[in-house]
Amino acid sequence: MQIFAILLIPLALSGIAVLPGKTRSFGVFNAAGHFINAVLAVWLSLDLLRTREAAAYLGFFYADLLSAFFILTISVINFIAALYSIGYISSDVRDSTMSERKAKAYYALFNLFTLTMLSVPVVSNLGMVWVAIEMTTLVSAFLVGFYNRKESIEAAWKYIIICSVGITLALFGTILFYYTASRDGGVSSLNWTDMAAAAGDLNPSILKVAFLFIVVGYGTKAGFVPMHTWLPDAHSQALAPISALLSGVLLPTAVYAIIRFATVINICIGTSYTGNLFMFFGLMSLGISAGLVLVQRDIKRLLAYSSVENIGIISIGLGFGGTFAIAGALFHVFNHAAAKSLMFFAAGRAVKKYNSHSIRDIRGMISAMPFAGTMLIVGAFALTGMPPFSAFFSEIMIIISGFTGGFLFQSSLLLFFMAVVFCAMIHNISRSVFGEKPSGMAAEGEPLSGKLAFGILMLIICTAGIVAPGFFKELLTAASEIIRGA
Amino acid sequence: MAVGLILFGILVMAFAMVAAKRLSALIFGFRAQSFFLFMLTFILAWRENSTQLYIVTTMLFAVKVVLVPNFLQKVARRIKADEDLGLSVNPTVSMSAAVLLSYMAYLFTGKIVSIPGEFENSALFISLSATMIGTFLMITRMKALAQILGLLVMENGIFLAAASVSGGMPFIVEIAIFFDILLVVIILGIFVFKINRLFTHIDVDKLTELKG
Repeated sequence: MQIFAILLIPLALSGIAVLPGKTRSFGVFNAAGHFINAVLAVWLSLDLLRTREAAAYLGFFYADLLSAFFILTISVINFIAALYSIGYISSDVRDSTMSERKAKAYYALFNLFTLTMLSVPVVSNLGMVWVAIEMTTLVSAFLVGFYNRKESIEAAWKYIIICSVGITLALFGTILFYYTASRDGGVSSLNWTDMAAAAGDLNPSILKVAFLFIVVGYGTKAGFVPMHTWLPDAHSQALAPISALLSGVLLPTAVYAIIRFATVINICIGTSYTGNLFMFFGLMSLGISAGLVLVQRDIKRLLAYSSVENIGIISIGLGFGGTFAIAGALFHVFNHAAAKSLMFFAAGRAVKKYNSHSIRDIRGMISAMPFAGTMLIVGAFALTGMPPFSAFFSEIMIIISGFTGGFLFQSSLLLFFMAVVFCAMIHNISRSVFGEKPSGMAAEGEPLSGKLAFGILMLIICTAGIVAPGFFKELLTAASEIIRGA
Repeated sequence: MAVGLILFGILVMAFAMVAAKRLSALIFGFRAQSFFLFMLTFILAWRENSTQLYIVTTMLFAVKVVLVPNFLQKVARRIKADEDLGLSVNPTVSMSAAVLLSYMAYLFTGKIVSIPGEFENSALFISLSATMIGTFLMITRMKALAQILGLLVMENGIFLAAASVSGGMPFIVEIAIFFDILLVVIILGIFVFKINRLFTHIDVDKLTELKG
């Protein structure tokens, strides 16, 4: 029953947001609501792990352990973004970048956005998954274009147009899937549970063509190169908490949709077809974005390209196959979401303080804003997979299974590009963090809500790799078993 | 026979939209294409005598033949959009490209996905043609409103595939998709207003604030 509460809380909050009242106190209330959601997500995972059975309601809502993992990741990052929003929005209202009315609209949209994201993993119908993913685009486009500046409207337009084209192609793939399921498998619904049960009878050549449309279509939303062109614009123009959500959890949500289709195909024709496609798009995303991270001069675009890179790593992990590699890829989804949110929050503070996106202008953060500056540089190390941070462990899981699985060439490329990204990221970020701060700029601390958000993220990225709670490890393994079609 | 003519009409309208030089002609082309699609689904509904298909048909008429084209016309009038479409490729080349795309769709349906049944085969071919022509319109027409129409032509193509090849998607999914199309068009319309207000034009190729 937890999934109903998980959906109802953001729905209710988005309604309450537009009621009269102070935005600041609503922000606190909002964060509390999302905290409850995160707790519910943990409870749901524990429940499902105990019963080992998917929770299905009304033939429509459905949550297995893979869904539970995504729900958990989404709701944890939602909570932290809600927490960070309190300080961020209040300061925008204070310096009148944003009116009180606009702040209310922000909270309403924020909650609708989280609602649409949470509805992706809780439905069993591939058509409804499609609708939910399209809704995430529509709602978040308003958050990308929120400031109504020329650049942000341009970014929102590109975002909505390119993603709509992608998603339309994905719908075509879904129809082909449904065609072979109904004609050859005798399945008259779009539920993947039914399709997986009939997978043996489906027509492999139609499935293969359909999956190409699915990967290109949802891959547009996930940010695979070469369909990623909307991503740096949208991520750099959105508000900082929204950038964190877009990059940390929205991209993996699209990957989740691809995974559900891949599972059916894996049962029908084995894992090599989907695995090769995942590896192909993963390596392409990783390679191209590594070059772009190197030459980037805009701090938020730098982080956006790093999201493309991390989606590449996740996709390669899925491509290697095997329980260990897939568990590594899922773990990386979580670690990337945490580390990337940390960096977007810190970069958002810097952009506001220096009033510029350019790495050249943002200098001496460590003296101008010691707290955010420290977080930014620590986040850079965490994101690029330095031990002891958690991303190191997920990346090493993927690399080990690549080498032991016989993917020598792919794994070597993976290592090489990761090294390039590491150097590029540290080079660029350290230029912003260290050095002389501009003369006449006063040092500034961090508001309490910001400190809390940073603190929780720090705790996650420092401990998740070493002392992760037992249930989390079980969850990852069980979810990766589901993906393999075991 | 009638079904074949209707399918042909859908394809002809896609070509007519490629040939269109003015925004009003483009909107008319979309309305006519949707009307053909409506007739097709009506025949399918009548053949199978299913209430659900009748409901889908009614929604198709309401959304794609009436509401969406009217809304787009209203937006165009309100922002006093230039009738000129800003073709980045001249009509002759556009037309040849569209023919080539249809031929590719034909090869694809014949060779790669071979589906039994003559009607299903030609429906899939035409739906794929419409989808690709829609994509082509989006890429080569530089007015924001024309891009919305390209997207809608793509969706028409997809809808044709869903209705004819797979015997219609599950009911709730169809309804959700209609709702979604309506929402997409309204939201894109809002953004057209915003672009028009901030940039005083709706030429997408002149949106060049963001680089890198």
